Amino acid sequence: MKLTGALLSSIVLTAAVATPAFAALGGDSTTVQADVARMKGALRITSSAGVTVHEITTSYGTVVREYLTPGDKVFAVSWHGPVNPDLRQMLGDHYTQYEQAASVPHPGGHRHLAIEQPGLVVQVSGRVRAFVGRAWVPGLVPQNFSVNDIN
Amino acid sequence: MRKLIALTLIQLTFLAACGGGGYVSGGGGGPPPPSQNIAPPGPPNVETITVDSGPNGVSAVNTAYVSVQVCAPGSTTLCQTIDHIEVDTGSTGLRILAGAINGTTLSLSQLPQETDGTAGTVLTECLPFVDGSSYGSLRLVDITLPVSMKTASNVVVQVIGDPAYPVPDGSVTGQSACPPPAENTVTAFGANGILGVGPFAQDCGSLCATTGVAGTYYSCTSTTTCADSTAGIMQQLQNPATLFTSDNNGVIVELPPVGAAGAATVTGSLVFGIGTQSNNALGSAVVLQEDAFTGEITATYKGAAYPRGFIDSGSNGNFFTDSSLTQCTTDIGFYCPASSVSESATLQGTTGTMLSADFSVANAEVLFSNLSYTAFNNVGGTNPTMQAFDLGLPFFFGRNMFTAIENASAGGYMGPYFAY
Repeated sequence: MKLTGALLSSIVLTAAVATPAFAALGGDSTTVQADVARMKGALRITSSAGVTVHEITTSYGTVVREYLTPGDKVFAVSWHGPVNPDLRQMLGDHYTQYEQAASVPHPGGHRHLAIEQPGLVVQVSGRVRAFVGRAWVPGLVPQNFSVNDIN
Repeated sequence: MRKLIALTLIQLTFLAACGGGGYVSGGGGGPPPPSQNIAPPGPPNVETITVDSGPNGVSAVNTAYVSVQVCAPGSTTLCQTIDHIEVDTGSTGLRILAGAINGTTLSLSQLPQETDGTAGTVLTECLPFVDGSSYGSLRLVDITLPVSMKTASNVVVQVIGDPAYPVPDGSVTGQSACPPPAENTVTAFGANGILGVGPFAQDCGSLCATTGVAGTYYSCTSTTTCADSTAGIMQQLQNPATLFTSDNNGVIVELPPVGAAGAATVTGSLVFGIGTQSNNALGSAVVLQEDAFTGEITATYKGAAYPRGFIDSGSNGNFFTDSSLTQCTTDIGFYCPASSVSESATLQGTTGTMLSADFSVANAEVLFSNLSYTAFNNVGGTNPTMQAFDLGLPFFFGRNMFTAIENASAGGYMGPYFAY
């Protein structure tokens, strides 16, 4: 039950001491770089029909995707993995809307949450070891892009 | 309301005299069909489950509770039997709300904290949900399940809402936030605690032991100086069902059927062990092997496959996608068909075994309008995630639902699996 000194020294999680203010959803690609640094993740970039997808895999296995418009705005984010990523970081300026909606009783309780507001859609489900979620700003989604492709 | 309570007591007395297992009050559900045999609560391995409105201040629906006695390690007097601990086959570990500890027969300060091996450095934990998280200290207790008399010593439990430990907000060096909204009170959490008896032996597993997972385990040199930490396999919260000296390979949740209008309360059994006693044989139940990492199975419904399927007593409805079902206008997110609809999904385990899952969906607003009813087998709601299919507590009524734990042999099959 007791931890050895060796295990203590193997603690590898060290978040940045001071990070600049940023906003993933609604931000630009510089916020993606901030997310990569903060999540200590590996970045993979793909592009299709003008939409650029930055995929970050965290050290603990959560995969985060950030979808950017041709104009370099993050219009959607998605994730899946053992825990949710830091949603304050992912949702940026939209986090307050999420927090308010999550605070009131809703169907699905601890396991499911759906938020559908004019400026924000959030869909998240799961339990420890198996979370999946996505969020987007309807007004920023490019015209020829289907939200079904946010996954 | 008072009449309903009186009726409940009369039925309880009557059925106890008959030595019966589960019963339903206020719903006219009738006795379980012959195919369902509910084990009567008692030693050596059967605990009483109650589905009711929950602790004071909570208006729970479709939530299954047990009582758990917790004692300071080694003590037979510094103890408290805590009621309304939610039975959750979708999580792992025993968690108690600090606000449920009475402070008279048992105080928080009497429960030693789990250290990380260094004097003065203790572990805390954040339990993340989709709608917030619960945070608190990790402490050692002896537990007794008061009906079955199952016991385990020096069990690591999370004390959610321990007032000494403010919720990490990420402002301390090396600290990830335990994401708000906080669910650290009995009313916010909806129970006095949670008994996580799901398919996994530890709540986080090897990831937390090796690389660590941001926002889960923390090591603290003071109550306000907590940094992200790894937690060894044995330091993590263990599935309580694995800690008993016998009947430790899984659980069966056995709830009787309820009628179409629901029931005021339901009583059933939480059986420990699978294939270890005469009362917990797998019998004709079909085994659905789960994904060893996520605990998921596949559901096929109306021609579409849902790879993120699970059966979960901690969900208070069946949550799935069906655009043909009318949604409620007040209880947004629930289904409100004009009349009850019969539905069927096919569940498939990772080894290809298939099992039919039949359930019905009624008008949730009509069901919920009876405020004295707390148990419904026909509550359905939308699932925000396209790939997910969640059969919650409504699906448990009238079935004996087996959950076998990872790496354990249970009834001739290795866990993790669901079976019914």
